[in-house]
Amino acid sequence: MKAFQYATAHSTDSARELIGDKGAYLAGGNDLLGLLKEYLVPGPDILVNIKSLPGLNKIERGEKTWIFGALVTVGEIERDAEIGKVFPGLRDAASEIASPQIRNVATVGGNLSQHSRCWYFRQRDTVCLKKGGDLCYARHSENRYHSLFTGTDCISPVVSSLATTFAALDATAIVLRAGKETRMSMAELYQKAFTDTPAHNSLNPGDLILRVEIPTTRSRSAYLQVSDKHAFDWALVSCAAAAEVTDGKLKSPRVALGSISPVPHQVQAANDFLDGKTLDDATATQAADLILKDAKPLEHNGYKVPLAHALIRRALLKLKGDA
Amino acid sequence: MKKPEPENFGAFSRRTFLKSIGTVAATAATAQVRSVAAELEKVNAEKVVGPDAVPVTLTVNGEKLKLMLEPRVTLLDALRNYSSVTGPKEGCDRAACGACTVLMDDLPVYSCQKLAIEAQDSEITTIEGLAKDGKLSPVQQAFWDKDALQCGYCTPGFIMSVTALLKFNPRPTADEVRHACAGNLCRCGTHPHIIQAALQASGAQVTSKTEVINA
Amino acid sequence: MPSWPEQTKYISHVTTRIDAPEKVTGRAHYSSDIQANGWLYGTILRSKWPAATISAINLDKALKIPGIKAAITAKDLPQNVRFYGEEIAAVCGTTKQACLDALRAIEVTAQPRQFVVHEDDAMKDGAPQVWDGRPNAAPGRPREQGSVDQAFPECAAVIEGFYTTAVQLHHPMETHGSTVSWTDEGLTAWASTQAISAARDGFAGPLKLDHSQVRVITDFMGGGFGAKLNGSVEGVLAARLSKEAKAPVRLMLTRFDEALAVGNRPSSFQKIKIGALTDGTLHAFELDNYGTPGIAGGDVNLPQPYIYRVPNTRVKQTNVAINAGASRAFRAPPHPPASYAMESAMDDLAVKLGMDPLEFRLKNDASEVRQREYKIGAEKIGWKEKYQKPGSSPGVVKTGIGCAGAAWGGGGPSRNTRGDAQINPDGSIEFRLGVQDIGTGTKTVIAVVAAEMLGLKPEQITVKVGDTNFPPGPGSGGSTTCASISPTVFDICAKALEQLQTQAGIADARGDNWFAACKKLGVTPLLVHGQWQQGDSARPLSSSPAYGVQFAEVAVDTETGQVTVKKVVGVHDCGLIVDALTLESQINGGIIMGMGYALYEERVMDDLSGVVLNPNFETYKLSGIGDVPEIELTLLNMPERGVIGIGEPATIPTAGAIANAVANAIGVRVYSLPITPAKVLAALGKVPKPVTA
Repeated sequence: MKAFQYATAHSTDSARELIGDKGAYLAGGNDLLGLLKEYLVPGPDILVNIKSLPGLNKIERGEKTWIFGALVTVGEIERDAEIGKVFPGLRDAASEIASPQIRNVATVGGNLSQHSRCWYFRQRDTVCLKKGGDLCYARHSENRYHSLFTGTDCISPVVSSLATTFAALDATAIVLRAGKETRMSMAELYQKAFTDTPAHNSLNPGDLILRVEIPTTRSRSAYLQVSDKHAFDWALVSCAAAAEVTDGKLKSPRVALGSISPVPHQVQAANDFLDGKTLDDATATQAADLILKDAKPLEHNGYKVPLAHALIRRALLKLKGDA
Repeated sequence: MKKPEPENFGAFSRRTFLKSIGTVAATAATAQVRSVAAELEKVNAEKVVGPDAVPVTLTVNGEKLKLMLEPRVTLLDALRNYSSVTGPKEGCDRAACGACTVLMDDLPVYSCQKLAIEAQDSEITTIEGLAKDGKLSPVQQAFWDKDALQCGYCTPGFIMSVTALLKFNPRPTADEVRHACAGNLCRCGTHPHIIQAALQASGAQVTSKTEVINA
Repeated sequence: MPSWPEQTKYISHVTTRIDAPEKVTGRAHYSSDIQANGWLYGTILRSKWPAATISAINLDKALKIPGIKAAITAKDLPQNVRFYGEEIAAVCGTTKQACLDALRAIEVTAQPRQFVVHEDDAMKDGAPQVWDGRPNAAPGRPREQGSVDQAFPECAAVIEGFYTTAVQLHHPMETHGSTVSWTDEGLTAWASTQAISAARDGFAGPLKLDHSQVRVITDFMGGGFGAKLNGSVEGVLAARLSKEAKAPVRLMLTRFDEALAVGNRPSSFQKIKIGALTDGTLHAFELDNYGTPGIAGGDVNLPQPYIYRVPNTRVKQTNVAINAGASRAFRAPPHPPASYAMESAMDDLAVKLGMDPLEFRLKNDASEVRQREYKIGAEKIGWKEKYQKPGSSPGVVKTGIGCAGAAWGGGGPSRNTRGDAQINPDGSIEFRLGVQDIGTGTKTVIAVVAAEMLGLKPEQITVKVGDTNFPPGPGSGGSTTCASISPTVFDICAKALEQLQTQAGIADARGDNWFAACKKLGVTPLLVHGQWQQGDSARPLSSSPAYGVQFAEVAVDTETGQVTVKKVVGVHDCGLIVDALTLESQINGGIIMGMGYALYEERVMDDLSGVVLNPNFETYKLSGIGDVPEIELTLLNMPERGVIGIGEPATIPTAGAIANAVANAIGVRVYSLPITPAKVLAALGKVPKPVTA
């Protein structure tokens, strides 16, 4: 890593001031240190430890809304039995993120803002499109892990399992931007990655995710992913589904997919189609068809289409619960 | 090595002003002095250090390690290369193999992906800190008994992960052992014996299905 | 004539590893743990070009970085770089951070050249040449037996298949490297090596030292699997840095380096045609294989047809050079790809014949040992109950079973193995052998044999290995170490008892009489030297080869493509079992590595940039604890064959067994390893075509 200064911030104002133009926030540090070790980002001249910022590591359990501070760790979410009851999909997603060692330090905010995992982006010697080069290597070469839906020439997908699950739960991220709190849906949080090649998400330099608010509207939620390995392996495709289910009928359903698009992939037409329907194989299949209708498989990632299809059906049927 | 320049931090600000006063221990006498002292304490807490080496004190296996480290030095690097705590190993330096696993306040973390400077407030436990008065911990003993090691390079990391598991879950299932150890890699393939060792250390009965047939 | 005792207390039983206490406490010191006084950190600059001509390397700025004590170039200029990751320069300094800063300050003037990183591309006309004036493809001389052209039409059933395997990386958990220190006598290197003698040669030659001036010490090392059998570029760089800096240097490779420059298992692309007669007898076999050993290294010639007798064969094999790191011997080279393809073809042919694949093997396998092992394994896996026609398992998650066999000679025991034992008057005894314990349990084997022969307990035996000052032993390769050291220790013990009994005037100095006998030594320890012995030719102390069969049971989710290995049954022989516990560990390890070869591991090269795309554990995937199946082992103890070896036979048949189980489950063959969800879904016809633009 390049040399940097270090400080611990005790207020969001200080944090913003301390990072200046060329600094970086240090939360769990997993993604940041990984980027710095490979010299993938212009070296921050200062790392500002934000783990002492007051109030950001709390979980507020309200009746209508739960609020997860951005510094809540993935491990805390996994271990929380109440979360397992209220947002089972969230707990399942957390339990499959990386490894226990990473979950113990990884934060909600960090997981959402992590950079691309595209192996050309992460390779120290390939200057890909996202890094300012001329070529999206993946598009023309090894793209087995890449997007089925893209807005720009960069085909790197969002891989945050929390983003996928938050999208299905209709969560809102509250971001401190230039001193003011800004509310962003998951779609808004990643929209810039869909339109701007160098962007990993919609955050501007200096932005700080403060918390994520999740409505308790949907009492059923599910999360599934499939990787090459059975554990500690990035999802090939992930799927989160959430809804209220009354008498086997879906209310306010949402299905979101990760690792197939720069944003958590949701198709409103599919959500609309599912609303009010009975949960069964046929509905689930039709929804999956709608969600994947415009998929554009590349040379090596076409397998993600049937894989996503299967996960959508299974995640939806899982909402039925143990009934 | 680049020295911090006041210009880097933009226009004159309260923080810059207080930084220029320097580090002063607060001794409150009057309310006015108290508020300045509080400000100074806050500034101390937010003091910018580095990039050159600064004093860093790590609490490792109950002892204080006083080191001079640049902020960019990882905890693993600090333990192995600035001190002689060589139990945690470097397998990948990229938070992917677990050979560097240590406990920070009883939670397993990758010491290769943690800055030493931010590990100062934690109780760090390494493999060297498990045996008490020369007596191996139940996990260490079980690894020995069940041959849950071959070349031994991944062993410290696995033992830390299993130790942490049993602290939170004293009677895990085999699947829970797998889940807890998912962040540790082994190339020699000791996994089946590691699962057995973890279960044995938890007090469960472990039997081997291996059959030896004498020709 | 000397032979192993019939009744044993320790040999063939369970003995825990004698170096376990050091390993579980962190007291085991590996090369990078050595605290040499004033040691400096060393690191290597590698080529970011897959092919280039380097005309200048400027180290000035690097040397100015505070803390840097020396900087050197790796080779003479101009340097013709031929693979991404080739060594260019090296630095050493007081901290890792200073060294990494220094690497980034080295200025390299290079003219990139054209390159090629895929086998198919390398064989095309006009492909960039890896070596000047040499075609990339070097076909070997075809081997023929009988007449396949006559034989194929005579077959009742013939199948063809194009079975492929990927380049596999060794990735021992401890990377390559060493801590080196110059003394007045010469160089001491604490090296992570499987072969201290070869490592010594590797230092002495390039540094122009006598062998006697180089001492290599390897007390503990973190795995090698064949990649650490020779001298090393990084070792010599460390020594040169150390000489210049006048301080010890610790230079260990990074995980990134391991994926680029220190060896791999060549790929294989095997076009097989195989036929059998109506009664199931194999009749004709044809193979056209090519693969890459990188820029050089071994050749890719596979022992085909693997283990089965076929009267009519034709085998053509071609080495294809590409701009990638050279291959090195990797656990049972080159058997795993041969076994995988042959056993897959066998199953495919059995299905065409309408024969049970196990019956088909028993009909064509001439090995009595394997015949026995198949029958035992079939019962343990429940072959009769579980075998179904391919793809007939009901439901979305389909189960299947498969099997495969192995044979491994490895060159046999090393007859030059020697060793010493020092017996002290207090009865303590220390063995010294110039072998290595690479995780296989060598130290424990020595203790077990000694304990048995002397009537002592293993914990009473002190074992020292891994020092070129000790009597010479073999490198730990070929699965020959156990067979080399066991007869050697046997010999040392026999001589020790003889001398002790003579000196002490006791008829039998073993067991209860040991301490009394030793006391009679007075003050002078007894030093006994011994060497490998054949023993009784009817019941030798060691021999070769070993066989082995494995069965795999898998579940394949036909909607997601994910393969789960539920169970592996292994039935293995290794002659006389020395320690059943460490043996079990070795076989487990071979199976888990073979599973990785079958399902997860693949070095990925990028066509456009020539780089290795997965130089890390994130995207080069090793079997994890969550993937490891239930493993049930049966160990055949065959004392009459003497000690053999197990490390390699244990990993040979796994991929074939798993691949066959997958094909059995889903009813269609995935021809290419690793068998990923993507490939399973493709084989099932579920993957849509790419959409262009």
